[in-house]
Amino acid sequence: MLAFIIRRIGQSILVLLIVGLVAFSMFRFVGDPIDNMLGQERTIEDVERLRTQLGLDQPFPVQYYRFLEGAAQGNFGVSYRQGRPVSEILLERAPATLELAAVSGMLAIVFGIALGVFTAIRRNGATANIIMATSLIGVSLPTFLIGILLIYLFSVELGWLPSFGRGETVQIGESWTTGFLTISGLKALILPSITLGLYQMTLIMRLVRSEMLEVLRQDYIRFARARGLTDRVVNFRHALKNTMVPVVTVIGLQLGAIIAFAIITETVFQWPGVGLLFINAIQFVDIPVMAAYLMLISVMFVGINLIVDILYVFIDPRLRVDRTGAH
Amino acid sequence: MPKLTYAVALSVAVSSPVMAAEFQWAGKTDPQTMDPHAVSSAPVLGFLNNVYDGLVRMSKDMEVEPSLAESWEPIGAGEGWRFTLRQGVTFHDGATFDADDVLFSYERASDESSDVRSWFSPVTEVKVVDDYTVEFYTNAPNPLFPASIANWMMMDRGWAEANNATRPDKESGNFATLNVNGTGAFKLEDRQPGLSTTLVPNESWWDNAEHNITKATFTPIQNPATAVAALLSGDVDFVEPVPIQDAARLEADPNINVIRGIETRTIMLGFAHEADTLKYGASAGQPNPFQDVRVREAVAKAINVDAILRTIWRGSAEPASQLVTPALSGFSEVNAARPAFDIEGAKALLAEAGYADGFGFGLKCPNDRYPNDEAVCQAITAMLAQVGIQVELDAMPVSNYWPELRADNFDMYLLGWSPGGSLDHEHPLRFLASTPNEEKRLGSWNFGGYSNARLDEALPSILSEIDPDKRQALIDEVTGIYQDEVAYVPLYVQPLVWGTRSNIQLTQRPDNFFMLRWVTVN
Repeated sequence: MLAFIIRRIGQSILVLLIVGLVAFSMFRFVGDPIDNMLGQERTIEDVERLRTQLGLDQPFPVQYYRFLEGAAQGNFGVSYRQGRPVSEILLERAPATLELAAVSGMLAIVFGIALGVFTAIRRNGATANIIMATSLIGVSLPTFLIGILLIYLFSVELGWLPSFGRGETVQIGESWTTGFLTISGLKALILPSITLGLYQMTLIMRLVRSEMLEVLRQDYIRFARARGLTDRVVNFRHALKNTMVPVVTVIGLQLGAIIAFAIITETVFQWPGVGLLFINAIQFVDIPVMAAYLMLISVMFVGINLIVDILYVFIDPRLRVDRTGAH
Repeated sequence: MPKLTYAVALSVAVSSPVMAAEFQWAGKTDPQTMDPHAVSSAPVLGFLNNVYDGLVRMSKDMEVEPSLAESWEPIGAGEGWRFTLRQGVTFHDGATFDADDVLFSYERASDESSDVRSWFSPVTEVKVVDDYTVEFYTNAPNPLFPASIANWMMMDRGWAEANNATRPDKESGNFATLNVNGTGAFKLEDRQPGLSTTLVPNESWWDNAEHNITKATFTPIQNPATAVAALLSGDVDFVEPVPIQDAARLEADPNINVIRGIETRTIMLGFAHEADTLKYGASAGQPNPFQDVRVREAVAKAINVDAILRTIWRGSAEPASQLVTPALSGFSEVNAARPAFDIEGAKALLAEAGYADGFGFGLKCPNDRYPNDEAVCQAITAMLAQVGIQVELDAMPVSNYWPELRADNFDMYLLGWSPGGSLDHEHPLRFLASTPNEEKRLGSWNFGGYSNARLDEALPSILSEIDPDKRQALIDEVTGIYQDEVAYVPLYVQPLVWGTRSNIQLTQRPDNFFMLRWVTVN
C-alpha cells in the first residue's frame, strides 16, 4: 500500500518536471520580452545587456534548471512586467479565481443535478424537451460569446449588473480578499459564474440524465415499484443514489477544468484572477509569471489525480491486491 | 425611467455648472510601474503626468509651457539652458521642491538603470546655481532641449533616500515602483497593479485646478468589447481606445460622445536596403530589387493609400507624406505631397528597372502592435500583386516581430513611429533615417540600413541650429532626400478614437496622453 503511494507520488513529480521542461522549451516561441521592457530609445547594446542580466541568453534547459533551483526554495522569480515577486502576485490574484470557480462549480452541480433528474423523470414532457434543446447552447456556444451576450443583455440593455470587474472586496486576514460580503461583489459574481459554469452544468445535467435513465431501466427499480413504493422514494432514494457514483468522479475531475478554463471568462469580464494574469503575461512575454502559473495548474491537476488514485485504492479493494500477486 | 430623467433634469437645473464628481476610466494598458524614470513608454509616462510634474510641460495644443520651471533661457551662445524654478511648490508629502531635487532627478534619470537616460545624452553637466536656479550644459547648442524633457518628472531626494529608491529598478522593483510622491495635480491613493489605480486631487497643487474630480479610478480592460460594454452601461465614464468598428455605433448613442483625433504615430513600409539578395518568397536568393530606387518608387505608387483609409480605417485616418505628422514641429511643408496612386506608372518603373515580369518577396508584419496592422499588410499584398509583385506575407505577434527585424529577417516590413522626447522631425531622422551607428546612438531602429551621406552630415546641424528658419531649411532638404530615395513609404497617420459618456468634457492631446486635470464632469 505504502509502496503504491510512494510510486504514485514519484510518477507525479516526474510528470511535473516534464510539464515544466515542455513549457520552457515553448517560451522561446512566445517571443522576446526585452522589447516590452525597454523603451523606444533603447540601443542594441541595452538589449544585449538586459538579456544577459535576465539569463535569456542561456539555452532553455539552463533557464529551466535555474527556475527549478529557485522554485525549490519557494522563489518563483520577479515578474518582468510588474517588478514584484511572482509568488506575491499569484497569492494576490488567487482568491478572485478560487471564489469564481467555487460559485460556478456550485451552480453547475446544483442546477446540473436538479435539471438532469427532472429531464430523466419527465423525459417525454414538453418542459424537459425544451431544457434539453436549450442545453445544447451551453455545450455548443463558445464561452466568450456567452459572456459577451450576457454583458449586453444584463449590463448594457437592462443595466442590472456590472459589466466587468469584481466589485468591492473585503480583506480577510493577511492575504485573502472576498467579494462575498458586499452587494456589489455579489452582483459582480453573477454573470461570470454563469458564463464559466454553463458548460459544466450542461455536462453534468446530460450525464445525470443518461445515467438515471439507465438506472431506471434496471430490474431493482421495477421491483421497487412493484413493492408499491412511492415515486419519490424510488426516484431519489434508489435511482439517484446509484446514479451518483460516476457523476461524482466526473465532478471531481471537472473541478480542475473550471479553474483552468477561467482564463477565457476572466478575460471577457476583466475578472482580476490568475487566468487574466496569465493572458497578460503571455502578451508581455512575462516568463516568470507564465512558468509559475503553468506549474501551479499542473501541480493542481496532478494533485487531484493523485488523490483520486489513492481514494480508489481505499474504495475499490480489487486495486489493493499487491502487483506481484496479480500475475 | 421617467422618474430618473426628471431627477437628472432637476439636478442639472439646480446645480452650478461645475460640481464635484467621481470619475472612472478604462484603458487597454496598465502602466507597469509608478516610477517615472524606469520605463519610457506612453502608457507609463502618460499616466504619471497626472501625479508628477516636469520642469516644462505640453499644453493642450502640444506647445511647451512652464511647469515647475517658471522660465528658461539659453546660456551664452548656446552652451546650455538655465531654468528658473517656481517657488513655494511642495511634494505630496509636504517636502519643498528646490534645485537639489532637480539635480537628484537628473542623477536618477540619467543613471544606467534608467530607461529615459537618452534624453540626457547631450547633457555634459548640471549646475545648481542657487535654490531656484539650475543650469544644464550641452555638448552642442540644443534648441530642442526644453521640449525634449517635457516628460522628465521631478522626484524628491529626501523621499527617495528614505525609501531606498534613489535609482530606478525595473528588474526587481523598489518603493517607487508602487508609490508616488510627486508635485502633480493628483495624489496616488491606491495602487493594485493590473487591477485598479485610484487618484485623488492634490489640494496644495501649485497651479489652478480646472477639473472638478474628487476621486478618479483607472481600470485596465484588455478586451475591447468589454471596454465598450462598460462605457455603454455607464460603469466607466471614459474609454480609450475605442475600436474603429464600434465608433460609428457609439456615435449613434445619445449618451456617448466619440472624440476623434490624429495621433503622432506614422505607419510606414521599410525596405532591406543593405541586403544583397531577397530572403523570402518566390525570388528568394536572387539579387535584391529594392536596392534600385525605381523599384521602391514603384512600390510607393502601387499602393492605394486612399483605398486603405476608406475601407480599413473607415475614413478616420490621414495619409502621410513623411516620417512625422503635420501636427509636429519640423514638419516639412514643401514636401507635403505623397506619391500619387498610379498603377501604370509603377509598372513602367518596374519594366525600366528590369522587372517587367515582377518578382516575389517576403513582407513581415506585426499583428498586434498597431490597430489594423495585419489588415493593412493584406491590402498591400493585394495591391502589389496588381503590378506583378508577389508578396509572401508573414504576420506575427509583436513580441516575435522585433527580434525578427533585429536579425534582418525581412525583405520589406511595416513600422509605426511616434516621436517621443522632443516630438520633432529630428527624432525619426535620428532613429530611422540616420545610418546605424551604435556608438553615436543613431539609427537604432533603421532595420533596413538606409544610408545617405548628406543626411548624416546635416543631422548634427539640425540638432544644434538655433535659428528656426535655417533649421527648417535643413529639415526640408533632408526630407526631400529621403523622399526622393524612397527610404520608406509613409502610408498614413494613425487616428485616436476615445469614447466618453456625454456628460464628460475632456481634452484629447495628439500624443495620446490623458490628462485628468482637463476633465469636467457635468
